[in-house]
Amino acid sequence: MTDERISRLLQEATRLRYSRRQVLRRAVALGLSVPAVTAALDRSAIAAPGPRFGRAPAVLQGTKLTILAATYFVPAAQDFFVQQAQQWGQENNVEMTLDFVNWPDLQPKIGAAVQAKSGPDIVELWDTWPYLYYQSMVEVNDLANKLGEAQGGYFDWVVKTAAVDGEWYSIPTGNSTSAFAYRISYFQEAGAEEFPQTWEELFEVGKKLKAMGKPLGQALGHSPGDPPSFVYPYMWAYGAMEVAEDGKTVMFNQPEFVEGMKIFIQAWKDAFDETGLSWDDSVNNSAFLSDQISATLNGNSIYLAALKPEEEGGKPEIAEDMSHAGYPAGPAGRFNNLGSRSLGIMSYSGNVEGAKAFLEWWASEEQYQAWLEVYEGYIIPPTPKFIELPVYTEDPKLAPYAEVATYARNKGYAGPANQNAARVFAEYIIVDTFARAVQDGDAEAAIKWGADRLERIYGR
Amino acid sequence: MALVRTPVAAEALRTPRRRTTFIQRESTLAYLYMIPGWSILLLFMAYPFFLGIYLSMTDRMLGWPGANFIGLENYRILWNDSVFQQTVRNTAIYGIGTVPFKLLLGLALALLLNRPFRLSRAVRAGLLLPWIVPTALSSLAWLMLFNGVLSPISWVLKDLGVIDQNINFLGSAWNARISLCIANIWRGIPFFAITILAGLQAVPNELHEAAALDGASKVQRFFSVTLPVIRSIILIATLFSIIWTISDFQLVYVLTKGGPANTTHVFGTYAYQIGMGATDLGQAAAISLYMFPALALGAILLLRYVRRED
Repeated sequence: MTDERISRLLQEATRLRYSRRQVLRRAVALGLSVPAVTAALDRSAIAAPGPRFGRAPAVLQGTKLTILAATYFVPAAQDFFVQQAQQWGQENNVEMTLDFVNWPDLQPKIGAAVQAKSGPDIVELWDTWPYLYYQSMVEVNDLANKLGEAQGGYFDWVVKTAAVDGEWYSIPTGNSTSAFAYRISYFQEAGAEEFPQTWEELFEVGKKLKAMGKPLGQALGHSPGDPPSFVYPYMWAYGAMEVAEDGKTVMFNQPEFVEGMKIFIQAWKDAFDETGLSWDDSVNNSAFLSDQISATLNGNSIYLAALKPEEEGGKPEIAEDMSHAGYPAGPAGRFNNLGSRSLGIMSYSGNVEGAKAFLEWWASEEQYQAWLEVYEGYIIPPTPKFIELPVYTEDPKLAPYAEVATYARNKGYAGPANQNAARVFAEYIIVDTFARAVQDGDAEAAIKWGADRLERIYGR
Repeated sequence: MALVRTPVAAEALRTPRRRTTFIQRESTLAYLYMIPGWSILLLFMAYPFFLGIYLSMTDRMLGWPGANFIGLENYRILWNDSVFQQTVRNTAIYGIGTVPFKLLLGLALALLLNRPFRLSRAVRAGLLLPWIVPTALSSLAWLMLFNGVLSPISWVLKDLGVIDQNINFLGSAWNARISLCIANIWRGIPFFAITILAGLQAVPNELHEAAALDGASKVQRFFSVTLPVIRSIILIATLFSIIWTISDFQLVYVLTKGGPANTTHVFGTYAYQIGMGATDLGQAAAISLYMFPALALGAILLLRYVRRED
C-alpha cells in the first residue's frame, strides 16, 4: 500500500519536476515515511541530491562521528535528521552514529561524557546549557557567525540563550515552542467561543471543563519540557522573576505572585487534572490524544500526531476539533519562555574538523530548511530567513506557535541565561515551588521556599 | 601439567641458588598472586571511593578545570539544605516501608514454596523473575501501571464502578511514596524468598518429625525448629536488603525523578540531580557520602555476623 503511494509520489515528482526538497515535503504532507521515500528517491534518478554541499576535506575520509540528541516528539523529523547525517556520512566516507535519548536523560549523558572526556563528538544542548559546558566545548564563533549572517542574523532570544556572553560554542538550531492545544467543541460547550485571554478567565472556563470530565492538563513533575513552559510564564505574568537585571537580587517573593499562586492553587483543584503533579513531558500528549483533557500547553506535536492517518495511529476527529492559542496574560503582562537549542562540538572529540564540516553542511540553508519543513513548524528557527516558510503560515491553526517569539523571555530573566539560571532549571526550583504550593495549599510558604532556594544560587 | 612444568624446573635448577629462593619464597609468591585481585579492588573500589571523598571536599564543577579545596563546606551546606533533609526522611521512609514487608512476604512465600507440589521447580524459577528482570525495564512497566491518566489499574477499577476518578499514584507525596514502596517490595520479595527457601531446604526433616512426635504444633515447630536454623540467613538477607534499598536509584529515577516537589528523592536521585543536572560534583559526592555511615554500619554488622557464624 505504502509502496504504491511512494511510487505515485515519484511519478508526480517526475511529471511536475519536483526538487528533492519538494518531494520530501510532499511525502510528509501525505504521511509517508521520509526514510522510505528518500531510499526510493536514491534508487531512482528523480530529484537526485543536488550539487554536493560543503563536502568535507579528504582528510576526514574513513573517520567517525557520533551525535547525541534528545528524542524528537515528531518522529518523521528524527528519521529525516538521521537520513541527512547518513547521507553526509556516505558522501564523505565518514561513519555516522546517532544516539537519541529521552529528554530528561540528555543532560546527564552530556555530563557523563564531559566528565569522562569521551563519548559523542556532537551534542544537542538546550538553552542555558552552553554556559554549563562551554569549558569542554570547541569555540565555533566563525561558523556560527557565518551561518547567522547568511540567514539574516540570529534573533535576540537566540543570542541570549545559546551564546555564552556573546561567544558561540554551538550552532543554534531554534527550539520547540509552546502554545495551548485545546478542543474547540469542549470550550464552546463550556461557554467559551474564543480561547480565554487571561489566566483567570482560563481557570474559570476550566472549572466547567473539569465538571464536564475534561479538565485542563498541566505537568508539574520533574521533567525539563512541559512543566517549565507553564511555571516560568505564569510567574512572570504575576510580576515575579528569578532575579533582577544585576543577576543577583532575587525578585521571586512578590505580593502579586503570592496572590497569583493562591489563584492557581484553587484552580488546580477546580480546573486541572490533579495527577499532573506526576506527569512527564509525554503524559499530556497521550492524555489529550486519548480524549482525557480539553487543553494543555505543548509544542505542536499533539496536533501533528492527530493529523496522521488513522491507520498510523492518528486521530483525525481530534485534529479537526482542536486548535491552538497563545499564552494567556496575567496582571503583569503576557509571557512565554523561549530559548534556543544548539548543536555543539566537544573539545575531547578526535574529529573536530569532521564535526565542524558536518554542522556547516547541515545548518546550510538547503539542509536546515528541509529539516524545518519535515518538522512541520514544531521548531521555531533561530533566524528570520525561514520564519515565512509555508510550514509556519499555511495552517492557521499553527499561527500561535510562530508568534511566541514576540513575547518571550529567557530562563534567568531579568538576568542572563547563565550557569545560575541553568542550575535553577536543573534543580526544578520554579517547578517545585508550584508543586509544593498545590500540594500543601500554602502559597506564601511555597514561594518563600522558592525564594530561599534561589537566594542560595543567585546570592553566591 | 607435568610436561609444562618440566622445562621450568630444569631452568630453575640451572639458575643461581639465591634467585631460586626469592622466586620460591612463599610470601613473595603470595603477594604476586594477590596482585590481580588487589588491582581490581584498588581500581574499581578504592580509587572511586577516595576520589569521592576528595571531590566532596572541593567545589569541583563538572566540565570545569580545577577545583578549590573547601573542607567540609559541602557537608555543612547540605546539613542546612531543606531538600537534603527531606531526602534523608524520604530514604528512611523508603527503607522502613519496604524491608519489613519484603522480609515477611518473602518468608511466607518461601514457606509455601518449601512444600512439595506439582511444578514446584518451575514455580520457584519463575519466582525469580522480578529480581532478574533489569530494574530499569520493570520500573518502566510500573510507570505505565502508575500513569496518572492512562493507568490500567485506574481504568479497570473505573470500569467496575469502584472508583470514579483516576488514582493519583505518583502525584501526591504519600501516594508516590507508597507506590514506590509497592514497586520496591515487588522487586525485592524474590530475593528474600529464594534465599530463605535455600535455608529451609537445609532444615533436617528428622527434627520436624521428632518435634511432631513430641506433640509440637505447627507454630511451635516453626519457632523452635525452623527459625533457629534459618535465623542467620534471614539476618544476612535483611542487611543486604537494607543496604540495597538505601542506595536505590533506578526505581525512583524512572518513576518520579524525586518529584513531586522532592517528596520522593532518595540519596541516589538527589546526588544525580545535583551532580549531573546542576553539575556540582562536589556537593553530589557529599550527598552520596552522607549515605556512607549507614551503609558502613550495615556492612560491619553483616561481616561480623558472617565471621561469627563461620
